[in-house]
Amino acid sequence: MSIDVTGIHYAYGSAPALRGIDLRVESGELLALLGPSGCGKTTLLRIVAGLEFPDRGRVAFNGRDVTDVGTRERHVGFVFQHYALFNHLSVFENVAFGLRVRRWRLRPRRDEIDRRVRDLLDLVQLGDYAHRFPSQLSGGQRQRVALARALAVEPEILLLDEPFGALDARVRGDLRRWLRGLHDRIHTTSLFVTHDQEEAFELADRIAVMNQGRIEQLADPQTLYTHPASPFVCRFLGEVNELPAALHAHWSGIDDERVTAFVRPHDLEFDDGNDGVRIEGVRDLGANVRVEARHPLLEQPLVALYPRDRYACSGLVVGRSVAIAARRSMLFRGDAPVDAPERAGSALRGLLTRA
Amino acid sequence: MVPTDIRRPSAALRDPRWLRWTLLSIALAFVALFLVLPLVAVFGYAFEKGWEVWLASVMDEEARAAIRLTLLVAAIAVPLNTLFGVAAAWLVTRYAFRGKGLLLSLIDLPFAVSPVVAGLVFVLLFGRQGWLGPWLAEHDVKIIFAVPGIVLATTFVTFPFVARELIPLMQAQGADEERAALTLGASGWAMFRRVTLPKIGWGLVYGVILCNARAIGEFGAVSVVSGHIRGLTNTMPLHVEVLYNEYQRTAAFAVASLLALFALFTLVLKQLIGWRVRRAADTETPA
Repeated sequence: MSIDVTGIHYAYGSAPALRGIDLRVESGELLALLGPSGCGKTTLLRIVAGLEFPDRGRVAFNGRDVTDVGTRERHVGFVFQHYALFNHLSVFENVAFGLRVRRWRLRPRRDEIDRRVRDLLDLVQLGDYAHRFPSQLSGGQRQRVALARALAVEPEILLLDEPFGALDARVRGDLRRWLRGLHDRIHTTSLFVTHDQEEAFELADRIAVMNQGRIEQLADPQTLYTHPASPFVCRFLGEVNELPAALHAHWSGIDDERVTAFVRPHDLEFDDGNDGVRIEGVRDLGANVRVEARHPLLEQPLVALYPRDRYACSGLVVGRSVAIAARRSMLFRGDAPVDAPERAGSALRGLLTRA
Repeated sequence: MVPTDIRRPSAALRDPRWLRWTLLSIALAFVALFLVLPLVAVFGYAFEKGWEVWLASVMDEEARAAIRLTLLVAAIAVPLNTLFGVAAAWLVTRYAFRGKGLLLSLIDLPFAVSPVVAGLVFVLLFGRQGWLGPWLAEHDVKIIFAVPGIVLATTFVTFPFVARELIPLMQAQGADEERAALTLGASGWAMFRRVTLPKIGWGLVYGVILCNARAIGEFGAVSVVSGHIRGLTNTMPLHVEVLYNEYQRTAAFAVASLLALFALFTLVLKQLIGWRVRRAADTETPA
């Protein structure tokens, strides 16, 4: 079932939370809403679930307008950040809840409920925990109960709010690979909220990066990483060096236009030479070595990541003066990216050039 | 969970021995003087002429009428305030609306106003010379100096107990579980019965017990509206006063001892349930 969100505006009192959101989630897709806290991603998710109602705009499922339909009639599965399990009910009864509260005409028979709950508990690998209570489970187990509970009503749309936010790093990694596997099997249209770009990249088919109530960019992970639509997206997807640069266009004759080159640490290199850059710190991170250098004109240190064996033969030590080179960079003129054709027809006249 | 036990202050916060002992002595002296001694006195006077006199005083016709009336009033006022308290707590914790602060203050009003003033308000409203008095007299409805007035006054005074108990509890618990129930297709009623009620259960019982204790013990407001008609509109506390004023000291203390017994029973129950509420609140917070 596809989800269409058009022109959504929402404000908490006078503080706007969403400012014109358009988004289409294709049937069977797993889409991530990624953004910093306070960007409106959870509000958007709740609006899709019918837990909040937008000030303006429409929500449609499979083309059917559901904007004014309450949560109960939307038939979506919702997984809450802090699980929201019913603590007074056993794991089994938590999962059975959605079936038990149905009108009797639609309610499955007792043995049918029993069978379905058992199947779901097996699916989330908690078959042996049916009679435990939520307080007796670990965080990861609780989250899987929450997922099974949401799936019990056979929703055609699954909404997850920071599903792994409250878990520790290792459990989080395991659980998200497991969730991706589950999605590949059941293909429920899924929308999930996260502030963790790694999580979004690992799980999602496409990612909508949100900032201050707007979607900055909607694309698949690869495009997002290689062609960010704005400096915000670029910064949000990981550490990045921002270097002043001059762009010389062959065709226009405009000389040395000021742009900003965004260079990821693993694309930056310190070479022999002297650009006025001095190595200030070296830190061994295990697989990589992080080298920090400083240029007198830049407030932020320059950061480069070297695989450890490459670092070993680089001879970079603290105090050495070096020149810099970027294997790859993303150029922005103000907030607008410099597009590929223009870039092809230009020459980047040295990083760290102040025009 | 914070690893340190907050009930045991660290050495740095510990006061010198002499100060601790002084404070402890003062506290114990106060408790003895103002709580234990009166309680002992109540039972002492109640049984001063022996077991039979106590029983006779309690089983007296008018005493029995007072006990029946007190129980009847509590049986009406407590359910009413339970209903109101749950509704108010739900409203205050689940919705944002204009005038929420005002509503919260109004809920506390009966705590702030002297019960006698509350009683007078009802007399001014429903009494013979009151605003609605003539209309009521015309339709032959008696409120003041009758059971309905006592129920009204008691309900007013015991108004805040359930709501005050539930509001902080429901605020702390949040509404995610209710939202989860809704997304799973539960109706409003099913959500309330299967999720909210079990969640607030012990807190609710706690509030009801406090409300009930106050309903049974209320004196001031009831005294103003009751008219002290013996055997008809005297509740237990009023009956105690009447007996005492008539120099029937033993009988007065016998009925008072019943109230005291009830208070002790409530105290024990409150302690037991308060412990369960706190434990429920602890397991509520996600690990």
